[in-house]
Amino acid sequence: MSLPKKLQDTFSPKELQFMVENEPIKIFPRFTTRQRINKHSDDILDLYSNRWKMITMPDTALNNMVAMQSTTVTLWIALLLKQQNKCNIIAPEWLTCKALDRAIQFEQNNTRRFSPLPWDWLILSEILFKKAPDDFHDPIHELRSRIQDLREIRQLKVAKGIKYMNESHLQLDNLSILEINELRPFISGIMDKLKEIHLAAVGPEIEGDKEENDGEEIFNGTLRNDSSRQSL
Amino acid sequence: MGYYDLDDILADSAEIPCKFLHDIPGLGYLENNPGGTIHVNTQLKLPLWLARVLAIIDASSASDDVGNADIFNTEQQFTPFLNMLTPETFTNKVINAIKTDPISLDLHSINPYFYALAIKWIELFSDKDLAEIVSDLLLQRSQVINAHANSTTISYNNNSNSTSSTGNNNTTNNNHALFTLTLDEFEKKIYKEANDSYKDIKKWIYQY
Repeated sequence: MSLPKKLQDTFSPKELQFMVENEPIKIFPRFTTRQRINKHSDDILDLYSNRWKMITMPDTALNNMVAMQSTTVTLWIALLLKQQNKCNIIAPEWLTCKALDRAIQFEQNNTRRFSPLPWDWLILSEILFKKAPDDFHDPIHELRSRIQDLREIRQLKVAKGIKYMNESHLQLDNLSILEINELRPFISGIMDKLKEIHLAAVGPEIEGDKEENDGEEIFNGTLRNDSSRQSL
Repeated sequence: MGYYDLDDILADSAEIPCKFLHDIPGLGYLENNPGGTIHVNTQLKLPLWLARVLAIIDASSASDDVGNADIFNTEQQFTPFLNMLTPETFTNKVINAIKTDPISLDLHSINPYFYALAIKWIELFSDKDLAEIVSDLLLQRSQVINAHANSTTISYNNNSNSTSSTGNNNTTNNNHALFTLTLDEFEKKIYKEANDSYKDIKKWIYQY
């Protein structure tokens, strides 16, 4: 492929943003698209003339919006409507000063675990801060500083966790997609090398054993094969 | 580790001290004695790719057809052309230095392809102790690499405060430059990749 290696191995932040923009979010529309079906109406065509048709996604929610009644739409549509001043975005529950304070508290109390934030918390909060700053109940600079705090605490924890890396597995519970993406080149590189070192020490011995057992002790050989398959 | 991996090829050219177990006529040019004979117990430094082959192939059966199936049966009289001795990279002195202070160690001056060579060496001798030491070394150093990769500052305003912050930037850049000089080639690659990744995300957040 002609893509640079970086883009083959991992996602760019913009690609992640694109993915997050496909997530559902709640909005307050400021206009109504739901249409009363008039049975006495003569032309049915009129009914569908100003309806929205989406090729890649269901459009029922879009065509059934009622002013000031919350509906769930995809984030990119919400941002588009917001840009045209046609809706207010309802900030998710975790994106309030209170909830973020709780998350920070959790991070500080649990040195070995991460607080259960949504997988897109960093990206979503950045997008909403930028595109819908007037839709928050809390002052935006306070939210921003809390998000920043959370990010720094979590980064510090990740840095501390690096010394527990090994060649076989890694547990990343509750880390968001951006945080994992940021670490991916580093961690996968180091873990690959650790695996190489591990296999260099262990691998040839197993192979040698198998070759020696070939033909001599079939029973032993099959036993060994079974056990190796189990461990895989 | 692929066939075209330049680092792999360069690591293979590391010099390994070898001790010959046979008289080999005509090979004297290796020790500045053209046309002469290399005698038993001569010690010479040979590149790993050559030494490995000579240390694996059985000298006594070399005259027979290559790829004989009864190589395993003649294992009792197995004598290779030479024995590989521990190279400078893995002498006790270096291993002790690794054990005492893995982080401030100048791995690049020991061997620019330390890990690649270590893996080859571990594979040849199934040296589990060395494997443990090397993976511990990598783990310890990876923490520092990660910290350095993450701590770089990006200037998203190129023109505005370039004059005021140059002094500060220079010292941090200098630190990073000095640090990268002590890295093995593989570590350098990881450092660069990690640094790029951190920088990308910082840039995205600032832009956004």
